[in-house]
Amino acid sequence: MVKRFRAPGGRDTFTAVNAVSLAVTVGEIVGVVGESGCGKTTVSRILIGIEQPSAGEVRFEGAPVTTPEDWRRLRRSVQYVFQDPSTSLCPTMRIGEALAEPLVVHRIGTRAEQAARVREVLRLVGLDADAMGRLPAQLSGGQRQRVSLARALIIAPRIVICDEIVSGLDVSVQAQVLTLITDLQQRLGLGLIFISHDLRVVHYLCDRVAVMYLGRIVEEGSVADVFGDPRHPYTRALLSAVPGHVAAAPVPIRGEPASLLNLPPGCPFADRCPEVMPVCREAEPPPQIRNGHMARCIAASL
Amino acid sequence: MSEDAALRFDAVSIHFPGPHGPVPIVHDVSFAVARGKCLVIVGESGSGKSMCCQAVLGIVPAPGHVSGGGIHWQGNNLLHATPSDWRRVRGGEIAMVFQDPSAALNPLMTVGQQIIDVVRAHRTCSRAEARDRALAVLRQVRFPDPERRMRSYPWELSGGLRQRVAIAMALSCGPQLIVADEATSNLDVSIQAQIIELLRELQETLGLSIIFVTHDLGLALEIGDDVLVMYAGHAVERGPVRDVLENPCHPYTIGLLRCAPTLRSRRTEPLRPIPGLAPRPGEIGPGAPFRSRCPVIVEPLCATEKPGWSDCGAGHAVACHRYARDGRVAL
Repeated sequence: MVKRFRAPGGRDTFTAVNAVSLAVTVGEIVGVVGESGCGKTTVSRILIGIEQPSAGEVRFEGAPVTTPEDWRRLRRSVQYVFQDPSTSLCPTMRIGEALAEPLVVHRIGTRAEQAARVREVLRLVGLDADAMGRLPAQLSGGQRQRVSLARALIIAPRIVICDEIVSGLDVSVQAQVLTLITDLQQRLGLGLIFISHDLRVVHYLCDRVAVMYLGRIVEEGSVADVFGDPRHPYTRALLSAVPGHVAAAPVPIRGEPASLLNLPPGCPFADRCPEVMPVCREAEPPPQIRNGHMARCIAASL
Repeated sequence: MSEDAALRFDAVSIHFPGPHGPVPIVHDVSFAVARGKCLVIVGESGSGKSMCCQAVLGIVPAPGHVSGGGIHWQGNNLLHATPSDWRRVRGGEIAMVFQDPSAALNPLMTVGQQIIDVVRAHRTCSRAEARDRALAVLRQVRFPDPERRMRSYPWELSGGLRQRVAIAMALSCGPQLIVADEATSNLDVSIQAQIIELLRELQETLGLSIIFVTHDLGLALEIGDDVLVMYAGHAVERGPVRDVLENPCHPYTIGLLRCAPTLRSRRTEPLRPIPGLAPRPGEIGPGAPFRSRCPVIVEPLCATEKPGWSDCGAGHAVACHRYARDGRVAL
């Protein structure tokens, strides 16, 4: 898929997401990592139809999602958990009401059945039933994120998209939420798309990982391959910047990402790349795929 | 805790008024920052780490106040500093870098002008001299193209460059101590790595002392010489950073390390989260602050008495009744 946005104040457009393909299946956790502005959130918003792609399509169970009816069907199976529960939960709505709302919207069950389901998901995410009468402000950050998870799970989706859901949490609370996600994913056989800037969390949680840089997926493969044998210099640089991690061959990363508004031709990472060659500035490198491990770097084919 | 300490924080408590009397937010915390060294304070939200930083600069937000102890800086107790002492110390001798540079910088002034203002507030010098100083510190923090870009407004700069400006501003009057409160937490990892490298370089070339506050244990290992682990307003463990994080002695530090994912952890070997939540200030009362979540409490001592410091060797010390009794903590 491709997503172009209008540039601020002008008639120009810039491409926030450039030829990105991403697949997730039930029972699998796919990580999307990258720094701010790399397009990871836009990709996930396209996947549930909050944004329309400028080109490309979303396919669900093998068929393209086009009509409003298709999107309704997709949203009953694909749910989204936002980064900041204090903004994604309505501050004046009691937790019980907020949790029942997806059931009301999708017209699932009677009132009594809905109430029973609310209790069930609260138990599932490790909260007491008396949380139903509380307001979001009366809960801690970790509890609020549990409520967001419960609200995504209440209609029994098959795929859940998690956008930076543990980044705002303290380490000990983050660990509680991560173990909860692992447990839920196993018990319910969910497919997860887990968006994060924290490589340590992605390494812990995911089966596959896609590394994004300036709107492109620059490397993709199993977590073992991408973290164990990174083939794109950006991935290597990211790994060596992880705090507390002693890289075998540290790759200092220079400068800042280029502006999407005014991207030079060639590889978008060329200006910061320690291994840049003249050919990198001529054309964008095509994906090089070896044993299911993709890297968009000329050097990866050598 | 040698005499070579640049700053000594001595049994400091900070209280806020509560409905049932003063509530301790920081309780009896002591630490020292050695000259030219970096002390990392690690802890989770509400542990009191930021409050300690604010106490160092005398900016504990009212109605909170430092209710006991002493903060010793160059032979003076800062708790007795007069407003004119503070004008000299704050910004001149001790400078702070905040978490969010977009909130710390004035959006209506160019970044160059803001640094010039700081210089002129502390030194008697001409505009041109102040401008030269601003340029020099911008170069020192490797701000690209400083002559031209010092005329930028903060919102024209990326987060990483704004933080470089904030560091330049902190350096502009030649302080001996920099207090950096979560100064890299909002930055992307590649930019964070650059800022950490810069701080380490400045520490070395200028002989700066640094207090670096973070919740990231990996980062603590990377930048720190010494570490202080805080929990619920209490200091629970301290010592050389590698020693403390590789051989932690407090059950909280051990728990924190077990629940922080690294590039080796996989979900097939689940993290072991610390159960429960940190107590609210005022709920702690007498006794060990970690007792409500601690798997190895000593009955009845942990409920009745604050643990004192036990020596773990090589400058490493822990405040734990279990360690004091058994000489180790086995979880």
